[in-house]
Amino acid sequence: MTGSELGWWGVALAVVGGAIRVSTPYLFVSLGETLTEKSGRVNLGLEGTLLMGAMSGYGASYLTGSPWLGVLAAAASGALLGLLHAAVSNLPRVNDIAVGIALFIFGSGLAFFLGKPFVQPQAPRLPTLALGGFSDAPAIRAALEVSPLFFIGIALAFAMHWALPNTRWGLIVRAVGDNAEAARTAGYPVNLTRTLATTLGGVFAGVAGAFLSLSYPGTWAEGLSSGQGLMAVALVIFARWHPVHCVWVSLLFGGASALGPALQTVGVTGYYYLTGAAPYVLTLALLIASSSRRHRLAGAPGELSINR
Amino acid sequence: MTPRPPPLIEAIDLSKRFGAVQALDGVSVRFEPGSFHALLGENGAGKSTLVKCLMGFHAVDSGTLRIDGKAQAIADPKAAHALGLGMVYQHFTLVPSMTVAENLVLARPDLPQVIDWRAERKGIDAFLARMPFTLDPEAPAVALAAGEKQKLEILKQLYLGARVLILDEPTSVLTPQEADEVLGHARRLADAGGLTVVLITHKFREVRAYAREVTVLRGGRNAGGGSVAALDSEALVRMTFGERPLPVAAQRGGAGAGERYFELRGLNALNDRGVAAVRDLTLHVARGEIVGVAGVSGNGQRELVETIAGQREPESGAIAVAGRPYGRTRAEMRSRGVFLLAEEPLASSCVRSMSVAENLALRDFDAAPFARAGGRVDFKAIEVRARSLIEAFRIRCAGPHARIDTLSGGNVQRAVLARELSGNVQLLVAQNPCLGLDFAATREIRGKILEARNRGAAVLLVSEDLDELLELADRIVVMLEGRIVYETDRARAAAEAIGRHMTEGSRR
Amino acid sequence: MRARAETALITAGALALAFALFGLFLLANRLNPLEVYAVLWLGGFGTSFSLQATLTQAAPLMLTALCVAIPARAGLLVIGGEGALVAGGVCAVLAGVAAAGLPAAMGTVLVCAAGAAAGGAWIAMAGALKHLRGVNETISTLLLNYIAIALLNHLVSGPIRDHAVSLKVTSWSIPQAYMVDAIPGIGVHWGLALGVLACLAAYVLLRYSVPGFAIAVLGGNARAAQLVGLPIGRLTLLACALGGAAAGLAGAVEIVAVHGAASSSLVVGFGYAGILVAFLARQNPLAIVFFAFLVGGISASGGLMQRRFDMPDAATQVLQGMIFLCVLGSNALYGRLRVFRVAGAGA
Repeated sequence: MTGSELGWWGVALAVVGGAIRVSTPYLFVSLGETLTEKSGRVNLGLEGTLLMGAMSGYGASYLTGSPWLGVLAAAASGALLGLLHAAVSNLPRVNDIAVGIALFIFGSGLAFFLGKPFVQPQAPRLPTLALGGFSDAPAIRAALEVSPLFFIGIALAFAMHWALPNTRWGLIVRAVGDNAEAARTAGYPVNLTRTLATTLGGVFAGVAGAFLSLSYPGTWAEGLSSGQGLMAVALVIFARWHPVHCVWVSLLFGGASALGPALQTVGVTGYYYLTGAAPYVLTLALLIASSSRRHRLAGAPGELSINR
Repeated sequence: MTPRPPPLIEAIDLSKRFGAVQALDGVSVRFEPGSFHALLGENGAGKSTLVKCLMGFHAVDSGTLRIDGKAQAIADPKAAHALGLGMVYQHFTLVPSMTVAENLVLARPDLPQVIDWRAERKGIDAFLARMPFTLDPEAPAVALAAGEKQKLEILKQLYLGARVLILDEPTSVLTPQEADEVLGHARRLADAGGLTVVLITHKFREVRAYAREVTVLRGGRNAGGGSVAALDSEALVRMTFGERPLPVAAQRGGAGAGERYFELRGLNALNDRGVAAVRDLTLHVARGEIVGVAGVSGNGQRELVETIAGQREPESGAIAVAGRPYGRTRAEMRSRGVFLLAEEPLASSCVRSMSVAENLALRDFDAAPFARAGGRVDFKAIEVRARSLIEAFRIRCAGPHARIDTLSGGNVQRAVLARELSGNVQLLVAQNPCLGLDFAATREIRGKILEARNRGAAVLLVSEDLDELLELADRIVVMLEGRIVYETDRARAAAEAIGRHMTEGSRR
Repeated sequence: MRARAETALITAGALALAFALFGLFLLANRLNPLEVYAVLWLGGFGTSFSLQATLTQAAPLMLTALCVAIPARAGLLVIGGEGALVAGGVCAVLAGVAAAGLPAAMGTVLVCAAGAAAGGAWIAMAGALKHLRGVNETISTLLLNYIAIALLNHLVSGPIRDHAVSLKVTSWSIPQAYMVDAIPGIGVHWGLALGVLACLAAYVLLRYSVPGFAIAVLGGNARAAQLVGLPIGRLTLLACALGGAAAGLAGAVEIVAVHGAASSSLVVGFGYAGILVAFLARQNPLAIVFFAFLVGGISASGGLMQRRFDMPDAATQVLQGMIFLCVLGSNALYGRLRVFRVAGAGA
């Protein structure tokens, strides 16, 4: 990127482009975790799920030559890990937070174990849409190469936003997560609903991983993920469990992540890591401001173990 | 919902036993179609049990249930719903984040996969138009006041087509104004002919103002009833509380009441839902005196005791012990001799995973002789003391090292008692101390409370058992809806007068 | 006694299940489970070299596991060991560099104390937020992990960077004299002894001391603790500070016994593995010593397994994850096994 030629405009451009690009995995994990938490479960293991998704997506793409089949494979592996989380958490007296941490360790280990043969070869990447075609400047062109997954993610956010109040299943998920006793009285299966929601959450996280390995940065190696999966919980709190807010929050986090490298191109090197920490500091500040000793966070589903 | 008459419900000779307790003993009641029928009685009289049998939660041990003349075995709540029976519980079964409309729709058994909200709203609006009261369908349930939540619960049952509506103490969480609204609406629905309302209550005022028929339960038996218009207050009181001569008091002794030791001034506290539970409460207890707080459960007693105990923050008001402000710290408890016998001892005053001996030491593990130099806890000393307390208070357990949650309820109560009554008690706050205990244990514990009083302790005894108060208290106050509404002393105490104040609402 | 037997049996059962499942996993990857387990044993426990590697791994794990176990006693679920370790490491370096002229032993002690204090303060922050504002401690310590790592990276690559070292981004080094050697005869650094001592101290403190008993009451039933007037806020802070101090000490030990300077090598997942150890040990500090050894052994054998079977050493993580899941799931069995049911007493 020839950002240095454009100076501070280059920084802004890089931030925007970076925001769009980097936000996509954040978007998918936050949507997945929103659904899971709406049903009353916390899944801290999305990082492992994301890595498994990245690996299986990359592997499938390499073996079949189709990156979209890779995305499908990523979704499937995500579903399996989500199912595993639900199965263990459904057992009596099991702490879903601890299960998430266990899944994080298991999923990341599994991903790097099975993914060893895929570290060297280059798998076909997902295509991008060249939205910057109107410009001649290569910097602008590069910044506006957007993956179709970004738009799929936004569509999913709006779909979830519609489905939660307008479908039978959406109502059941919300009831189960807010007052399981009321849902049970009305005859709805609490554990089954949570299993489905957590599995679907895993699917989204798997796709987020596929984006990382098949789109940007587009490789399969150590350090692929920068904690997007673990941050899902923070993102969801920031977004107040609202699917469409996840879009803005993901863009914000993506932009903040892109700020560091962008500033480096204009020579501001001192604060790379600190700006990278901005999303976490923001989330913590938000938590402090909106928590109170007496009430729980506004908008939080009543059955979440982290709110009790 | 067609306006056809609701079914005739007959309970014939129902009996139900739970362990050692005969909750229902040959109870027969007839609920006429379209009536507003009150089930009146003290706590533990059997009202809830009767209704739960009707709703299929419990199977009766003997007796029959007849719906429209046909004997029915109601196996579970689903069967009860199918027969047109609906119940509104004391706790809310609403989803807080959902709107009124969503809560109604959620309860529907035949919901389509994709919800056509336009059609649903039409249906809901039409339904609400038929109701004598209404709610904003778009309002989120969490924003509703308790009275509106209660109305939503009622609407939900009617929306599902209930023809017999059972209300289980619906006004216990409502202000008097809200209570009047809700019951007034229910009465209008019954009068319109399409609904039978069964109201479980302990409040005479509600029976008088809204019910047409009443059945009084006492000790699991049908103690009488009939048309409300034909029964006067005294008859109702007598049926509810029975003939009650003053019980033979245990030995009263000691110097009698001394200076004031415990004072509450203008105390205000909220309950868990944020509604005022203790309102501007003022009372005092002197040394060597037992002040009994009478009242039916749900009038703020729990919140009052929790506030004194330090488990709840008061909104405003003053608590003073020995003439000085009381902050509920451990040091103050120790120096001013404050001890507490709270309700549900296992949940409120014990650590389940700890042993009997450890639980007995919760108040003094950090003081000599149980804390040694260097900050070490002397478990041997704790065990020795536990053994002597176990013997003195006759706590039945597998030894001082048994986990406290392996003890029966009565023995847990004895253990807490042992802990609280064996120190230098200057102020004792007790709440339903003999609940669930057998006769012998009850005598023992009441004796010990009296002993504390005789030795000069100030005792605040909050109890739902009128007998207990009449036996022990020097002064009796009645707590109703968070306030003290009546006071009498031992000499002039009369069960009927107290009972009346316990159950009548505030006169307006 | 029965309770302890029940715990041991269920944990052993869960471990057996995990090893069986991992065996199936190996079979699916065309590996012979028996061969692999033999190498696991060899690489973790079979030779004196492998034992050394295991104990070196186990040392920090004991400390980061305490960061979970001590607050757990107060009813809190803290997962901030990683962040506290990093905070401890950074402050250890700063202290060592700032106070460079001290006699060796004093310098070492100072550096370790600084690390412990930093870790303690780090987690105590989360405790304060919980008590004052009701902020969930699991999420706040998770976020604090990231903030600590970001601060580490920022400081190490900037303000405290040692520019004399060109091949690696690392901070200033503490004086060589403050560094600690291996325990004679064992070949493992003194951090191991610190870890074992810390676990013993934690056990004694929690089981036998007055504040330890108070913490247990709080964790057992906060309402009962309120009823008897215990200072909830102070106890929460104490439990968090002690747990954080243990993890901070682990960070200081990494500096004083291994690296000598702070860098990204502080962030290797000791914090998260410590969570596994704590749950395996059911939050009991004595059992933590054993399970740190077990988990450390699995980690240490990774290198040998990698060489022998051309297997990525992520395999050890897979095994650890399976163990964790099986142990968590086995929680459902407590109180259900008829053999161990205690007859109710009294009437």
